[in-house]
Amino acid sequence: MPQKIIIDTDPGVDDTIAITTALRSPELEVLGLTSIFGNAVTETTTQNALRLVELEGHDSIPVARGSEVPLLMELEGIASDVHGRDGMGNTNLPAPKGKPIEKSAAEFIIDTVRAYPGEVILAPVGPLTNIALALEIDPGIASLIKKIVLMGGTVSVAGNISPVAEANIYHDAHAADIVMQASCPVVMVGLDVTEQVIMTPQYFEELFEAENPATNLIKRILPVYQEYHDRFRGMGGSTHTHDPSAIAYLIDPDLFKTQSVPVFVETQGHCKGKTTADWHRQWESRVDTEVCMEVNSSGVLDLIKERLAK
Amino acid sequence: MRKFWIDTDTASDDAVAILMALRTDDVDVLGISVVAGNVPAEQGSKNARYTAELCGKKTPVYMGATHPLMREPEWAYFFHGNDGMGNMNYPEASLPLQKENGVFAFIEAVRANPGEITLVTLGPLTNIALALRLAPDIAKKISMCYTMGGAAVTLGNVTPAAEYNIYIDPEAAKIVFHSGIPLLMVGWEHCMGDANFSADEMKMMRSFNTKYADFTLDCNATAIATNQNWLSEPGLALPDPVTMAVALDSSICTERGSYYVDVETIGEATHGMTVVDKLGVTNKPANIEVCWKIDIQAWKNLLYERIK
Repeated sequence: MPQKIIIDTDPGVDDTIAITTALRSPELEVLGLTSIFGNAVTETTTQNALRLVELEGHDSIPVARGSEVPLLMELEGIASDVHGRDGMGNTNLPAPKGKPIEKSAAEFIIDTVRAYPGEVILAPVGPLTNIALALEIDPGIASLIKKIVLMGGTVSVAGNISPVAEANIYHDAHAADIVMQASCPVVMVGLDVTEQVIMTPQYFEELFEAENPATNLIKRILPVYQEYHDRFRGMGGSTHTHDPSAIAYLIDPDLFKTQSVPVFVETQGHCKGKTTADWHRQWESRVDTEVCMEVNSSGVLDLIKERLAK
Repeated sequence: MRKFWIDTDTASDDAVAILMALRTDDVDVLGISVVAGNVPAEQGSKNARYTAELCGKKTPVYMGATHPLMREPEWAYFFHGNDGMGNMNYPEASLPLQKENGVFAFIEAVRANPGEITLVTLGPLTNIALALRLAPDIAKKISMCYTMGGAAVTLGNVTPAAEYNIYIDPEAAKIVFHSGIPLLMVGWEHCMGDANFSADEMKMMRSFNTKYADFTLDCNATAIATNQNWLSEPGLALPDPVTMAVALDSSICTERGSYYVDVETIGEATHGMTVVDKLGVTNKPANIEVCWKIDIQAWKNLLYERIK
């Protein structure tokens, strides 16, 4: 039986690589995409999520529209410099055919988890507002969610959107703090590992040889993302592998080594969005998060290429 | 018929407010959503269902959020009794609890009746904040929101700075106050002092000899005692019913104004404080209205009418 997942996403260039990889993986059954702001505003990411399910004939997978704003903080720092104003590298793709379902993202998450108790993994690769809303409205789902595997945060390396914060957590630090206290198992795939997985120009070239709808789309939307990584991090055409690493974890968790530790999220001031691992358990007691600390980079890259180049 | 929705952490004064709405002939209460506050939401929903049944109504009662957005709950048993109803331990109502979550039911009701619903909030604003995040469009589809909460001109009650409903979930209050909902804040101060029911007035209410008057006084037994012993107030204070009275007859609020109002969520001593910029020193546009004065006799007369 393939693993049932819901991808909560703000597509997004690396979201696109992640979602197309997931949709092409027989180990995973994508029950739906839920949209959120982050790489672009929610209106835009919802359209992109629809484009992604339609890209290779997965039109039957529902897309539920998520929150337009963070739980409590102001909406700021939309990453149009990273992913383009349209979240798709400024490529101005044609409008999708389909529409989001009537249910909001949080309602879709609640209903789906309750329909398959103990079976669904939530895979948020954007800010955690929808997940937090679902947990707040229906706390009973926490014991019914099999696991939350999230892309976000960092406990051992510098931030990306600020010196201390990773962007997904920064965009809704309160929501992240709620998720880090959820009673279901939570796996954090953060910058600690995603910055170790580097997609090089050579890697992309090999990927693009496949010339299928997925790799053709990635090829088209990639330049803005590469340009950002070069301008900001001096990577000369290479990029980090954020969201796709979370999907790789879902397919083959053995590619990662995790450590179990309580994680706290700062919600105020300069360090807003900073995720702190309480290694020596000095703060108030809190459930542990499984934090990915080591990764088999070539294993992740090979896996993604194998799926996308089919 | 005027359409109402009541969001409540049903304890004793909430119950009286619900009774007032349910016993108003030209008001149709479409639903009651219960939130964690005075008592856990499950107990609150029992109390709300008992109250509806007492009034001979089949009003749908929904359970909503069971804890504040970012904080641990703090129950008000000390004020309302262990059942929230003056330790009357009323029997379980036969009116069933609706299966649907109150947040979703509220969103559906507003969307199905755009521009028509008067919302009356009697507890922490968790449910309404969650609904606004899920469905921001409803802010403009609510005709008016009357909120029992805050303290604009006097001291707080649970802390020197803060009133209970706002203190329990200040983050939710901040969301609601800045959402664009047309909202009148009816602060705690309006049930104090002369707005209390004196011993003589309570004796008169008892002489009505109706189940509604008895219920009003009985379920508030611990509230009356605590109000007098702890707050040194003259008699029975009914914050939620004052707000309901204003919602039922807006002329009972005799002085109101629009201001920029924010909610303190961080302060060391002041979290939950409602900060009203009456002088306009922040230069920020007004977001809600504040009730400054009520017609005390009119409020009391309205309650008398409903429990006779």
